Amino acid sequence: MPTGTRGQLYLSPAPHLSVFGRYPIPFKVEESGIRISVETSGTFSTYVRQTPTGRAEKKLGFADGDLLVNPVEPVHLPQEVTGMVEFHFLPIAIRPLSEIRVHLLFPVEIGVFSGTEDTYALVDVFSLARPKYSLYGTPERGVITRHIETEVYGDVPPTRPLHEGVFSLTINNTSRDWVWVSRAVFESSSLRIFWGTRVAMSGEMMVFSRQVGETWVNKMPPEDGMTEAVRVYPTRKSLIPEKPSYLMEYGVGD
Amino acid sequence: MVFESLSVPILGELTLLDLLVFGIAIIVVLVISRIVGVYLKKALSDRVDPTEREKLIKVIQAAIIIIGVYAAFPRFDINLADMVVVGGTIGLVVAFASQRIVSNLGSGLFLIAERPMKPGDNVNIGSFSGTVDQIRVLSTIIKTYEGVYVRVPNEKIFTSEITNYVANVARRFEYTIGISYRSDAEAALRIIRDLLSSHPFVLAHPAPSVFVDALSDSSVSIRVFIWAPSRVWWSVRTEMLWTIKTALEEAGIEIPYPQRVVTLAPGAKIEVSHVPGGEGPA
Repeated sequence: MPTGTRGQLYLSPAPHLSVFGRYPIPFKVEESGIRISVETSGTFSTYVRQTPTGRAEKKLGFADGDLLVNPVEPVHLPQEVTGMVEFHFLPIAIRPLSEIRVHLLFPVEIGVFSGTEDTYALVDVFSLARPKYSLYGTPERGVITRHIETEVYGDVPPTRPLHEGVFSLTINNTSRDWVWVSRAVFESSSLRIFWGTRVAMSGEMMVFSRQVGETWVNKMPPEDGMTEAVRVYPTRKSLIPEKPSYLMEYGVGD
Repeated sequence: MVFESLSVPILGELTLLDLLVFGIAIIVVLVISRIVGVYLKKALSDRVDPTEREKLIKVIQAAIIIIGVYAAFPRFDINLADMVVVGGTIGLVVAFASQRIVSNLGSGLFLIAERPMKPGDNVNIGSFSGTVDQIRVLSTIIKTYEGVYVRVPNEKIFTSEITNYVANVARRFEYTIGISYRSDAEAALRIIRDLLSSHPFVLAHPAPSVFVDALSDSSVSIRVFIWAPSRVWWSVRTEMLWTIKTALEEAGIEIPYPQRVVTLAPGAKIEVSHVPGGEGPA
């Protein structure tokens, strides 16, 4: 995590490692083409974010405290149209009554928050990855999903933490048939993202048949020493409770 | 003196004072329900979908008013059981006397139950197109795309065709793009496919479809089918068409005007002259 005195230019200790962390206002941080700065002027401050994909400038009605930068649920860009995330990958044949663990990549969206625990407010979201959306199910009854086309890895692959994270997925085939699995859909409100030397999530998928499966996300970090990222969903203080699991009714394969 | 005159019975045992107190009680109840409504609107503004929030607030306000009216009735010393009988009879008479209203009411209840549309949806009902503003018991309010307020009786809506453009989560739209016969159609298809692939809201599944559809009089017609989330389909439609047009032009692919090739018989002569300021060749 970058360290330094107030107003100092923060540089990550290793290239491509992270801009994630908590920064006391005023500050500047630069990494991998991302430049975030907050400059104070009297009782307010100016937030500026510059990335290869765009620039944002916002006025903050305070000149002290700190900002938190961490990965967030990848469903906010370019604008929020869904609360679902869909991983799509080459079909994997799963034996009857068996379980495998695979690793997938997902694009990282980076959120900037002000405030402290329980009162976080989202200041900005940006990403170095290009978003894509899809439809899971039918236009009448299906859901729009953030589409993530990914390779399947047996071991945790190397990643660029500002671009992509690793989703470790355990697939459990509870049916008595062979099943080809090529997609996994998750509720974004339940996503728990962790960060350290990499960005990571983990989840499980219970396959009941070729047509039906159930997915959920683990709330524990995939490895020790990781920090749980502040999520966007709770900052909305929605009365609609987050859904712990999602029932995939439109197939687990292509 | 004033109090005595207010205490004089005017109808049975009912006095002016009773009426006054009842009126004040109703006003107080209305004010309370309004204050509660404003408070709930503030408290729930970020937490509940605006449509659901309005419904919730209306239900709570209605409950406050009903309880208030029920509490104020004892001033009249009226037997509520009798009122139900009398009210039911009156209701029946009123219903027969106002069949249109009853018809609208019934249609409104069916619309609320069937939910072919909800506030915020883009719809076409009969000759009206716009966004559904409110679905009331007797009528539905449509805000047309020109911003005009239209109140449509529910009976009319119930018997009309309703086209709801956003009822499904995704919808398809299409373009027909003509390129000249001299242009490279393969390159045009490749450029369009690349553009569609890079746009976030052109859905990956169902995949967009791009193909040569017809060899038309003036151009090779390329058809493009695109699925997009219903919430953003219009902006995607308008944005992609221009993006495709400029990308094709930058690649040197011509989008021709309508044209006709005229072949003259051997030895035939044609004279073309242009009149300055005229409307074209003479």
